Amino acid sequence: MRYIVLVLLNLPIILLALVNIITQYKMRRVSKARFRHQIILWVVILVVLISSFPVYNAINNRPPLDSAELSAFDIVEIVSIVFLIYVVNNQRQQLERTERLVRDLHQEISIRLSTGRSSVVSEDKFEEK
Amino acid sequence: MCGMSVSKNQRIAVVIPAYNEAKVIGDVIKDIRKEIKNANLNGDVVVINDGSKDNTSQEARNAGAIVIDHILNSGAGSATATGLSYANQNGYDIAATMDADGQHASVDVIKGIRKLQKGDVDLLIGSRLIDARGMSRVKRLGNNGLSFITYVLFGVRSTDSQSGLRIFSRRTLESLRWKTSGFEFCSEMIWRAKQLGLTIDEYPIKAIYTDYSRSKGQNNWNAVNILKSLIKRRLVELFE
Repeated sequence: MRYIVLVLLNLPIILLALVNIITQYKMRRVSKARFRHQIILWVVILVVLISSFPVYNAINNRPPLDSAELSAFDIVEIVSIVFLIYVVNNQRQQLERTERLVRDLHQEISIRLSTGRSSVVSEDKFEEK
Repeated sequence: MCGMSVSKNQRIAVVIPAYNEAKVIGDVIKDIRKEIKNANLNGDVVVINDGSKDNTSQEARNAGAIVIDHILNSGAGSATATGLSYANQNGYDIAATMDADGQHASVDVIKGIRKLQKGDVDLLIGSRLIDARGMSRVKRLGNNGLSFITYVLFGVRSTDSQSGLRIFSRRTLESLRWKTSGFEFCSEMIWRAKQLGLTIDEYPIKAIYTDYSRSKGQNNWNAVNILKSLIKRRLVELFE
């Protein structure tokens, strides 16, 4: 039962992460490579979360969903870790995007100010590469 | 621009990122401009003054270069990116980058441009280590070490991954981008070029070490910083 609670608590976070990355990819905000890596990352977390307990129980000849050893603290801890991975991952991407945007802006402003003209900026200049 | 024909009309930009190089930048620009003229090339010298605190910008202007002043000091990688972006936006066919401290001989830049014009190469790296005479053992060790690390992390072989003398084809100017802004961009640039399927080649160059360039050059402790940044970049990329 505790195991089910653990999975149910983590599932929305993982699904949210997957929906996020699919949306960003569909809106062409992330490259195909980043999309692939992110999908792999979250699917691995999902598979490990779902399969680790049944596998552990199977090795120890116990019923697959037996989770008597799982304390409430364990559940809170695991959910927190998964949530933190989600937050850190999102923040890092946000930071990278901002960093790139600032760098491109600085570059563009420097060129424009120094050459005294409106320079041509390709449409994908500020898009994620 | 692979396999392009040699043309006198090809426009060439020699990009020089500079930070506090007022003492020597004028001579470096005059020298490369003279070589461009002697080689009968249609070229401009573009100096990216990376927020210098000295007179670099004025000295470069006086020597006849196009000067782009960075508002903030943002690193060699960022300054090079600005210079290449300028070259790309202004329709230059070939761009070359060289150091501002006088470490590179202008004839080597012209040699590289000629080589790129003749061959099917997108990115040409001037290697100081093919013939490393004149380079101190410590510097040789540092450069070889970073080239080895570049190979381990990114799977790209280069005898001199940190060389600042590079020649870029039009195709490279249009497509090559990198994310780091410090000196680690040298390794990242080769990696990105490989990811884009660009043709990379090397040619031997001579490094001129004067007391000034020795005092300005990177020391091996900087290599530790570069190493840290490269490992970080590689790890971050695993999750992208």
